[in-house]
Amino acid sequence: MALQSPNCIVHAMQSVRRTVQLRSFLHTPKISLRSNVPPILSQQRKNARGYATEVQAAPEIEFEKFYTQPARIVPASPAYFSGSPKFIDHLLNLETILAKWASLPTVAPSEAPRMAWFKLAQFRDFVGEPVPTKKYKNLIKILQRLNRIDPKIMPIEVRDTLKTFLRPGNPYGNKPAPATVDEMGRARGRGKRKTSSAVVHLVEGEGDVMVNGKTLVEAFPRLHDRESATWPLRCTSRLDKYNVWATARGGGVTGQAEAITLALARALLVHEPGLKPVLRKAGVITVDARRVERKKPGHVKARKMPTWVKR
Amino acid sequence: MVSSFCWGCLTRLRPTPRAVLPPTVAAPRAAAFHTSTVRYALPTKKKNSLDGPPKYRQAKSARMKKKKPVERARPPPVGERKALRKRIVLSNPNALEVEGMQDFTSETMVDARLRGSILGLPVPMLTQLRAVEAFKPKQGWSIFRRPGTVVRRETLELGRLIDSISNEGQDKGRSVKKIVTGVRGSGKTVHLLQAMAMAFTKQWVVFTVPEPQDLVIAHTGYAPLSDETPNLYVQNEATATLLSRTVVANEQVLKTLHVSREHAALKSSVKAGMTLEELAKLGIQDPAIAWTVFQALWAELTATSAASGFDKNFKPRPPMLVTVDGLAHWMKNSEYRSVEFEPIHAHDLVFVRHFLGLLKPGTGKPALPNGGLLLYSTSASNNPTIYSFEVALKQIAARQAGLNASAPEFPQADPYSGADKRVIDAFDSSKPTVAKEGMLELQTLGGLTRDEARGFMEYFARSGLLREKINDEWVGEKWSLAGGGVIGELEKLGRRLRVTD
Repeated sequence: MALQSPNCIVHAMQSVRRTVQLRSFLHTPKISLRSNVPPILSQQRKNARGYATEVQAAPEIEFEKFYTQPARIVPASPAYFSGSPKFIDHLLNLETILAKWASLPTVAPSEAPRMAWFKLAQFRDFVGEPVPTKKYKNLIKILQRLNRIDPKIMPIEVRDTLKTFLRPGNPYGNKPAPATVDEMGRARGRGKRKTSSAVVHLVEGEGDVMVNGKTLVEAFPRLHDRESATWPLRCTSRLDKYNVWATARGGGVTGQAEAITLALARALLVHEPGLKPVLRKAGVITVDARRVERKKPGHVKARKMPTWVKR
Repeated sequence: MVSSFCWGCLTRLRPTPRAVLPPTVAAPRAAAFHTSTVRYALPTKKKNSLDGPPKYRQAKSARMKKKKPVERARPPPVGERKALRKRIVLSNPNALEVEGMQDFTSETMVDARLRGSILGLPVPMLTQLRAVEAFKPKQGWSIFRRPGTVVRRETLELGRLIDSISNEGQDKGRSVKKIVTGVRGSGKTVHLLQAMAMAFTKQWVVFTVPEPQDLVIAHTGYAPLSDETPNLYVQNEATATLLSRTVVANEQVLKTLHVSREHAALKSSVKAGMTLEELAKLGIQDPAIAWTVFQALWAELTATSAASGFDKNFKPRPPMLVTVDGLAHWMKNSEYRSVEFEPIHAHDLVFVRHFLGLLKPGTGKPALPNGGLLLYSTSASNNPTIYSFEVALKQIAARQAGLNASAPEFPQADPYSGADKRVIDAFDSSKPTVAKEGMLELQTLGGLTRDEARGFMEYFARSGLLREKINDEWVGEKWSLAGGGVIGELEKLGRRLRVTD
């Protein structure tokens, strides 16, 4: 029975781990305590070895030294009996820090430095305890709140504490070099939608748009497609300031038009990076990653099941 | 007390036999207090299954129910639908009158200041333009108060050309030949319409073939031209229609011109002193001689001087405008069949051959000796793909650019593509020998400029169709959306009524 439920094993392992911790705790002040204390540990060992045969009385309590050397072992953490003491220690520590520095000015979430916190699994390894998802999320919330403290005046204590929760390495450190306009004044952008992919070369000009070597009207007979293809320029009212040379491959007409939208927005960002908020609001930065769902065996289409027949 | 009832008598009474009594079991019992008669329940019907009892002497296969014919409303009479489809509405009383709109006159058609504005077609001219079928049904004339066209760069060039041909000067009597191409909606047909309007203002004679396709799809009668030329075919009804178009449209001009020579084929009906209008009407009345009459009329209109004996009231002939809209249909086999059931090439129809022959440089005298303009346009929407025609157009462009036909970069048809030699030859015009005759040119219509587009969109706004603030930015946006100012697309954008609060 005990083998069947993994929880038991976990608990057993943890109890072993705890004793190890205890031992270490007890060993650390050993230097100072060695002289005056007959080691309890040896007694315990003795007890452990032969507890069934002989029972020894506990030594007398020395009340003079009670505070420096309590009679029974006091766990290092007050959360020792909570099941996840390390996690709770961290949590309490963060809460204390937050309470201490709560009055500091904060910045907007978007301006706070981007931090790669531990993923849940990594954090569990870090503390060695089964941390519930929801509780970890709350912890992350506190971390994020602390991270929002204005970086200029962030206390060293907070900074160091936050650093302990970061993933090793620096996932957000290596950013790709920002694209630049080439020597001919062209900006290049690529975009995908459905099964189409498009490459747009954008130069400053008078508003000519060529798609696959054809004019916009020939490439997209439908007005809606024409509008969506030129939407990044239209919503920033730059339609008459740039010339577009687009190549779209694959997919259908709508897919090609919307692939061009994305590519054009990216190319426009190379020329004018400050337009990003406007373009994001216009919905041309966000990638639509939806693709056609595959057909499954036993289904008529991706999800459709064959009709039920009696016999 | 003892009753006087005699029990002995009672015992002697025999009980009635059971058979006489109504069957007690079957009789439904009703409560004693009921007065109404008891009724039997209906006998339960046998449950019959879907198929019913087995059928032995009938067909067992499933029987389809016959659908009863649905009563439909009577279809409209023959021709009514087509008439509705081809109806041309030139005015809309709901649209606003545009103030300060000028008409096509000989002054306004060359006025460069009017570029980008809309010139209305004069109302008296509308009957003429209708007669030559200058308007097409889906061109959106019906959304404005009165028909009008944009003055674009090509229009002004055309106006100047027509003006110079008709006015005294060094260009008088020149004949110019052009093939108009362009993307769909670029205004090729309206360009022809503008040419016709200008020609009518300048009192030219206008010949049009508004639907070249109609001549080759075997919808009109045809016959061999004569016994000597069994390979040539004449279409008399189509010719009669052409004559009637020409007569109605050019009545004023033709009435003033008189027959100037003898016509051997029409000896009996043509008299000296006849006007050309009367001459043309001969062909309308009798389609059997329509082609002969057309040839006679053409000979009269291209005459530079009168024959001896006819010069009593000879007047110099006016310049001519000849337009064909949708040339590509004439570049392939027609739907007609010869006696051997071989397909007849469109170039074997004399009608087609006549108009295509005008593209060739004339020998001795120009194809249009009194000057004039040949405007043949292609179509981008109703357009058969003909490789040899495409090559021929490229060759015209190359020749126009000054390339020699023997130059290596001169576009040649791929020898393995089976290009139609006759088509390439039809446009293979060498340098004209006559001074007054121009080379065959290719004119490609593109989009409007931004200024012209702005004028066009303002016209929509002033007609009450468009409720937008027309500024340069808005026009520039629409100009780009219309593929660089393609006028047909601009019109679509303009007529999309969008109510903005």
